[in-house]
Amino acid sequence: METTDLSEARDRRWVAAVATGDEDAFRGLFGRYAPMAKALALRVVRQPQMAEEIVQEAFLSVWRHPDGYEPDRGSVRSWLMAMVHHRAVDTVRREESQRRRADQAASVGLRDEVSDHAEEVVAAVELPRERRAVRAALADLPDEQRAIVERMYFGGESQRQIAAATGLPLGTVKSRTLLGMRKLRAALEELER
Amino acid sequence: MTRDHAAIEELLTVRALDALDGDDVQALDRMLAEHGDCEECRTLQAAYADTAAMLAASLDPVDVDPAMADRIVATSGRARGDPDGDARRGGRGWMAIVAVAAVLVLVVGSLAVLRDRGPDASVNWAQRVVAFDGTSGEFTMAYVPGQSGAVFWGEGLPQPGTDEALEIWMIQDGTAVRGACVVPADGRVAAFLDADVSDAEVMAVTVESSSCPEQPTTDPIFTAPLV
Repeated sequence: METTDLSEARDRRWVAAVATGDEDAFRGLFGRYAPMAKALALRVVRQPQMAEEIVQEAFLSVWRHPDGYEPDRGSVRSWLMAMVHHRAVDTVRREESQRRRADQAASVGLRDEVSDHAEEVVAAVELPRERRAVRAALADLPDEQRAIVERMYFGGESQRQIAAATGLPLGTVKSRTLLGMRKLRAALEELER
Repeated sequence: MTRDHAAIEELLTVRALDALDGDDVQALDRMLAEHGDCEECRTLQAAYADTAAMLAASLDPVDVDPAMADRIVATSGRARGDPDGDARRGGRGWMAIVAVAAVLVLVVGSLAVLRDRGPDASVNWAQRVVAFDGTSGEFTMAYVPGQSGAVFWGEGLPQPGTDEALEIWMIQDGTAVRGACVVPADGRVAAFLDADVSDAEVMAVTVESSSCPEQPTTDPIFTAPLV
């Protein structure tokens, strides 16, 4: 069994345990994914305090509504990161003025530290390798595809906002997204093998 | 019959990145509805959700306030409506009731002793900061009288044993009302209680099992009178 499979199996056990009120399981999920969630929220909203609040809201939702996880819709990590991303994007779109201040916060440090939580043995081995692989997969995308994927995911921009900002036809924005995501999907599936 | 999923796939990739907007939102919903129970659609949705989530893994992790997990658990401990948890916590039997009665006498006794001492400090016209009285470590609460919400923090706290936690109580009319349940890390703890504590006559902290019983079963290790 691959490390990824083991991690996912453990994540699903944790989610099931959280549904019974198991605080240790919740702390396990939190220790494993909160640093990644904070990094994602910070990347999108660019404000540490706001990012912290988004992470707290997302994990509060996990604690209160663990039954929101549906295995058919993807991994536990997908569920968690989607919650964080939705909130971060909503925040950015709601507060455009804060978004315009984003560049000023570009110096916010994204430290190379992984949580030293005792349960993070797998993560300590897996994440750096995964990080490198995902970065390589992104770097391998043609510039025009990578730019759109990054603007959408990390910039919180909608397809129409990107079309308006770049002057590209909406259809081109969508087709570049499709091509980029197909390549990323293939690269990342390869990583999981 | 083989269906064409190209259009669905294109819109799913955009939606996975939270970038779908305009008419395409309804268009995707309509197409998915037309496909009905479509395994390929589910596979695509899950695959692109996982792909999008993987992008987060390209970022360097950022440290999170280690007390956040405690706050979440403590804050939502009363409001969560976890029937299993409540049942687990409540099933203690008559022996526990006897023990609780004895402990309440102790807690109320503490109230009588400490009643005259009052809060230790006032930050401003509304907020009050109260230092708890205890034998080991410091435990403090900040709250605004008449408003819901109290913040607790402590340092140098005794570490509960395995499967034990510190439980915060609001004592009112001689009755203990469960507040929050927290586990210190390296003797420190921070917690938020979503309740108006100003109706309480005294606040107390006991060491309890990690199941966080509905009534105290041990003597308080910290107390703070609010009247």
